[in-house]
Amino acid sequence: MSGIGPVESVDSPEANGSYEVIGGDPPHLTDRWHTLSPRTRRAALAAGAVAALGVGAVLLPPVHTSRQSDPQPPTPWPANITEWRYVGLAQTTDSPTTTGFFRFAVTVDSGPPVTLRVTGAAFDGLTAEAVPEPSFTVHTGATRRVTVEISVSDCSGLPLNADLAFLDVTLRNTRAIQRHSFIFGASYSKDLSQLLHRACSTTNARPGPRPSGSAGSQNVDLG
Amino acid sequence: MRQRSLVILTSVLTTGALTLTACGSRDSGSKSDSGSTTLTIGVDAPLSGENSTTGLGIQYGVQIAIDDANKNNWVPGVKFKIKALDDKAQPATGQSNATAFTGDSNVVGAVGPLNSGVAQSMQQVFASANMVEISPSNTNPALTQGKDWATTKTRPYKTYFRTATTDALQGAFAADYAYNGLKKKKAFVVDDKQTYGAGLAGIFNSAFKKLGGSIAGTDHVNTGDTDFSSLVTKIKNSGADLLYYGGQYDESEKITKQLKGAGVKIPLFGGDGMFATTYIQTAGKAAEGDLATSVGVPADTLPAAKQFIATYKAKGYKGDYGAYGAYAYDAATAIIKAVKAVKDANGDKLPASSDLRSKVVDAVQKSDFEGISGKVAFDQYGDTTNKQLTVYQVTNGAWKAVKTGTFNGS
Repeated sequence: MSGIGPVESVDSPEANGSYEVIGGDPPHLTDRWHTLSPRTRRAALAAGAVAALGVGAVLLPPVHTSRQSDPQPPTPWPANITEWRYVGLAQTTDSPTTTGFFRFAVTVDSGPPVTLRVTGAAFDGLTAEAVPEPSFTVHTGATRRVTVEISVSDCSGLPLNADLAFLDVTLRNTRAIQRHSFIFGASYSKDLSQLLHRACSTTNARPGPRPSGSAGSQNVDLG
Repeated sequence: MRQRSLVILTSVLTTGALTLTACGSRDSGSKSDSGSTTLTIGVDAPLSGENSTTGLGIQYGVQIAIDDANKNNWVPGVKFKIKALDDKAQPATGQSNATAFTGDSNVVGAVGPLNSGVAQSMQQVFASANMVEISPSNTNPALTQGKDWATTKTRPYKTYFRTATTDALQGAFAADYAYNGLKKKKAFVVDDKQTYGAGLAGIFNSAFKKLGGSIAGTDHVNTGDTDFSSLVTKIKNSGADLLYYGGQYDESEKITKQLKGAGVKIPLFGGDGMFATTYIQTAGKAAEGDLATSVGVPADTLPAAKQFIATYKAKGYKGDYGAYGAYAYDAATAIIKAVKAVKDANGDKLPASSDLRSKVVDAVQKSDFEGISGKVAFDQYGDTTNKQLTVYQVTNGAWKAVKTGTFNGS
């Protein structure tokens, strides 16, 4: 969790500040043109025009097509094209009671490949990391299955029954680096809750209270 | 006796007029000399008074979508025009506006309203007329998932859709950021007693406690209130380290000013209803550090929204497009694309007016396109499938995104 803005552009104008211009007319050609006689110049222009027409007939696109090619769509920001879906618990043996393995499907819908790294699981008392490779890349149109190892490092302050649990992820493509949270539904929250109960039920972790109605119906916590 | 004759005569004339009107409504839209048909898209939002900054953002978001559709001939042979009505953030006015839309045979669908409480009064009217209604900003979960949404989801109206995600996510997202991001442990929760504000505050309250936070106190205000001195005293005495407010910017911009003026230097955190530039302009330096969640991701991360923003600014439109402008544009586009789908499926002809409306409802349900706010599609409840949220914080006098998130409950 970070209080810093989630968006960092990696193609800022400053980064593209230098351009190398190629293909300009060398000055000595112009100089030579002016040394030719008017008759020679006319002949050269006529020959050039005929040659240009011939080349144009072969190379130019048909008239009905647009003269200017359509602009390329801008590269999308990685969080806007990346989808995370919870698949379920990974089958594991001999994992410690404080660790769980969770399976996700990650899809990139469009644009260049996205490199991802799991950085957290909402609470300071939890650590989360993709295994075996903490950082992985997903290509456009592909869905990659990933396993995330979540470990309980400190039970104090952990709610045993949190709703809408999520993963904090850093995403990077050629457009930007973003820190983003992927929030999952009841299935992931239930499986995460089981891990928290297993790891913390004998410690001083405190379960959350039952949900209730509108603000007006809440009892003030006096403790 | 004479009076009775007049009543009978008036009744006959009225019936005749209504019959003629009904006959006239058989054709879809109005025909122009060039042979094209003009259909109307209604807009309902607060366009004056309270909440109008964001309401105008909705109106002009729809206007730009209609201009784009007409300019680029999105539906050959069909032009669109806007009919914007001011609901003044009042449910009764919203209901009258809905009746006006459904009674106008040229209106094919409507975008709005801004307020969830107003939407409640309009849904039945649109449902009775089989006319599509898409809100770019309503976030109360009950509108799409029924009053028992927390336990048993049931869609109340098949004509109602929204391009904004719900407070079930927004309230929980805010609670997480308050507890885990800001490390706040003791919140004071206030709402404006409205459907949106009370619902959002209640969801935040529950989620914050479930995370381990405590509630230092709760209270309510009335919309239109300007003196919050007694509320400020309660908050000060409670020892809260955060004020959460469920409501609109009109009240919260005054609350934060009076709160900070009384020396209570705790952040005010609210929902999309206070994500407006007006909040910062009115509260001034008192707003610094305050927070708001809003639907979607920041517009500057959406390349497709850049042209929209440029057009909005170039036209000099009033209001604030930041919160819902892009979602209003996408809502109007969903209706326009639905008209095209219906026309294409009907041998390239528009069906008769009443048939067109119901078929547009079905076509909107099947929406699936890339809008300027992201993918536009609706689930079985009429909710958007684009469930993105952002936490913004006032930093150096401007809203700055500090956290973004995407929900995928499947």
